[in-house]
Amino acid sequence: MEGELVEADIVVPMHLSFKKTQAYEKYPKGQSRGRWKHLKQILQADPDHHPFYINIESPPSTQPCKRICDVTGFEAPYVDPRTNLRYANAHVFKTLRSLSTHQVHHYLSIRNAAPLLK
Amino acid sequence: MPIVSKTRRQTDYNLFPPSVPIVIDNGASYFRIGWAGETEPRVVFRNIVQRPRHKATGETVTIVGDQDPAMMKFFDCTRSGPRSAFDSNVVYQFEIMEYILDFAFDRLGASGSAIDHPILITECVCNPVYSRSKMAELLFETYGVPSVAFGVDAAFSYKYNQRHGKCQKDGIVICPGFTTTHTIPFVDGEPVYKGSCRTNIGGYHVTDYLKQLLSLKYPFHSSIFTWEKAEELKLEHCYIAPDYVSEARKFQEGTKEAEEKTRYWQLPWIPPPVEVPPSEEEIARKAAIREKQGQRLREMAEAKRSSKINEMENELHSLHFLVKQLDQVEEDDIPSFLSDTGYASRQELESTVSKVTQALRKARGEPKDETDEFEENTDSNEKYPLINVPDNMLTPEQIKDKKKQLFLKTTTEGRLRARQKRNEEELEKERRNQLEEERRRENPEFYLEEMRAQYKEVLERVEQKKRLKTNGSNTNGNQKSGNVGRGERLSAAKRERMRLLTTAAFDRGKGEDTFGAKDEDWQLYKLMSKDHDEDDERPDSDEAELARLSSRLQEIDPTFELKAEGEPGQASGEAPRVRPLTEEDYKIVIGVERFRCPEILFHPNLVGIDQVGVDEMVGASIRRLPHDDDKELEEKLTSSILMTGGCSLVPGMKERLECGIRMIRPCGSTINVVQARDPVLDAWRGASAFAADLNFLGNAFTKKDYYEKGEEWLRSYQIQYNTL
Repeated sequence: MEGELVEADIVVPMHLSFKKTQAYEKYPKGQSRGRWKHLKQILQADPDHHPFYINIESPPSTQPCKRICDVTGFEAPYVDPRTNLRYANAHVFKTLRSLSTHQVHHYLSIRNAAPLLK
Repeated sequence: MPIVSKTRRQTDYNLFPPSVPIVIDNGASYFRIGWAGETEPRVVFRNIVQRPRHKATGETVTIVGDQDPAMMKFFDCTRSGPRSAFDSNVVYQFEIMEYILDFAFDRLGASGSAIDHPILITECVCNPVYSRSKMAELLFETYGVPSVAFGVDAAFSYKYNQRHGKCQKDGIVICPGFTTTHTIPFVDGEPVYKGSCRTNIGGYHVTDYLKQLLSLKYPFHSSIFTWEKAEELKLEHCYIAPDYVSEARKFQEGTKEAEEKTRYWQLPWIPPPVEVPPSEEEIARKAAIREKQGQRLREMAEAKRSSKINEMENELHSLHFLVKQLDQVEEDDIPSFLSDTGYASRQELESTVSKVTQALRKARGEPKDETDEFEENTDSNEKYPLINVPDNMLTPEQIKDKKKQLFLKTTTEGRLRARQKRNEEELEKERRNQLEEERRRENPEFYLEEMRAQYKEVLERVEQKKRLKTNGSNTNGNQKSGNVGRGERLSAAKRERMRLLTTAAFDRGKGEDTFGAKDEDWQLYKLMSKDHDEDDERPDSDEAELARLSSRLQEIDPTFELKAEGEPGQASGEAPRVRPLTEEDYKIVIGVERFRCPEILFHPNLVGIDQVGVDEMVGASIRRLPHDDDKELEEKLTSSILMTGGCSLVPGMKERLECGIRMIRPCGSTINVVQARDPVLDAWRGASAFAADLNFLGNAFTKKDYYEKGEEWLRSYQIQYNTL
């Protein structure tokens, strides 16, 4: 390793005396990926009881949903039926119509409203 | 206030006796480790791991936390980005967790054969037992830790602030963190997890929202909005509006206040070099140079031509000489004489002579002599003597010859006919041109007008055809650039072909199959075939007419401008899409975004998360408490609300929270929101104080406990915070 690198001391040493099993023994090359359950799988495997990770999830809001312009962030009284984007005024509408399909999709996906392609 | 990483290696590890616990705040964004009883963690770093390849040795190495960009040149990071051990706020990737713990203990200065200290580590509220047991296993098995305790970061922060008189034993902690936001009610100094609430939104989402909005607003600069940059901008500029709608309206109306609140970020911009139009002299000079070069080329071509003519003349001369010599040679000696010269017979020699003569004539630019070809035709009967003789009078050999002659005859005749036709066409064209010329002379103005009208008409026709081919008629207004990349099905013909193919593919098995009953059915395959639509690739009559008209107009009309082909955009008078970039384009304006991004904490549905915001969570938490509508307790809870966690540092949070909670609580109730002493570090400090208490070991469990008591026990395991 380069001297500069040794001096900076950013690499975690391979062998650590305080460990009973070293990482390279535990995770030989190529074995590591995709071995771990994701949160969803973890939760499915756990039997239901109270209180539990899933139960403490917040409920949906009771307040009316706030509608803001996707492009500018202003209050948005209108929805473009073609792109499904919300917009504040005619000026924004003009820019909205000049967006590419990719950009429209991106704006929609930010608020999780983009059509899902299966 | 950005969180500062501390990764210096500690040297005093061995000074601590094994009874002193190590305290870890394992947050989704930052990892903090230190000694129980101290007020500051020793080591702090971003909770991420990168495993790049070291370029020089090819080994995979482990790098934890934020790195010095200057050092990254030694590594190949193309295959591994920064990874986190967390899924939402739960640790699931224990391999990464192990690398992080390796780094943390190493930096704390650990050197013995095991980590011989009890460990207190934070976890999320209601951590699934799988994650908890894996963590315990890792600590016991890999590091040889004697005992472990788990606690919740927000609870430690509350208890720490309670100790410092900021909040009461009954109250609520609001903790907007990195990936999630929690509210936990405290009753009698203990957290009640049954009443806790989690919304899956946090600082990560705010930063990501800002990053996406800015890169959409400035698509040209999207590469500079990295996650780190967005985080920096968020920490520096974001605030929470007291009322989103009225604040946004200020910006919409462009009030002075809004102008003052708008932040600008000027990116380095270098003006493009201005092109100076060339001066008269320059143009003249260039033209002269061009003229000179042209002259030289012409001279060279001329020299080459004359040398070629010279050469051919010489050759002809020698050939004539040879023929003359041949005349003097006696009949018997001819073969031997010719064998020296390389010609087989006298005929061959003569044909060479005539060939060279013709080539020479052509090179000199004299008209081609066609007489001999005509001669060929006149004596067709002599040339093809076998044609008129019936087959039965010939030998097989002669029949073969006859076939050959027949073939030769038809091809020569065909060629002759084609030439005649060409001549006729030429004549016709000449005649037409003359006619037009006459008309022009009669009335030049009218003629020009007519020509122009004709040109326009034909041009329109051609363009119409082109448009039909690419079928631009039904493009939707906002798909101007969206067409790129779908060239496959752009043309109407191609689309029709796709339609035919799909209907053919899906029609099978539907009803009775009568395909092929009619002859027209088979026409379908012709339409489907790939080369079908290539028929109209050839220039048709209209295009030829257009070319003729435009060339004619170019001759006689000085004002005529040829419309360049392949640039239909220009033809329809559309302005060019790309304009030169100015300094203004390099100025990033951050206005509404300043308060739009943190607003998602209060309205998660802005980013498509259908859950209550921070303010409403308090109400939800109180409702969830099993307290039988105890108004007194509710009053107590709302009068001691503590906000902690990184996101509570956003300016305006306290006022907005107070206002929001007041809206959902009954009129007249006391609402008191306070900010933690240090929303970022109080969790670790609380944990440190908790671990320093003599009763700590009563809350921890050993490896033996863990294996004897089993999973069910671990699930209900909970420490008693009141010792703090």
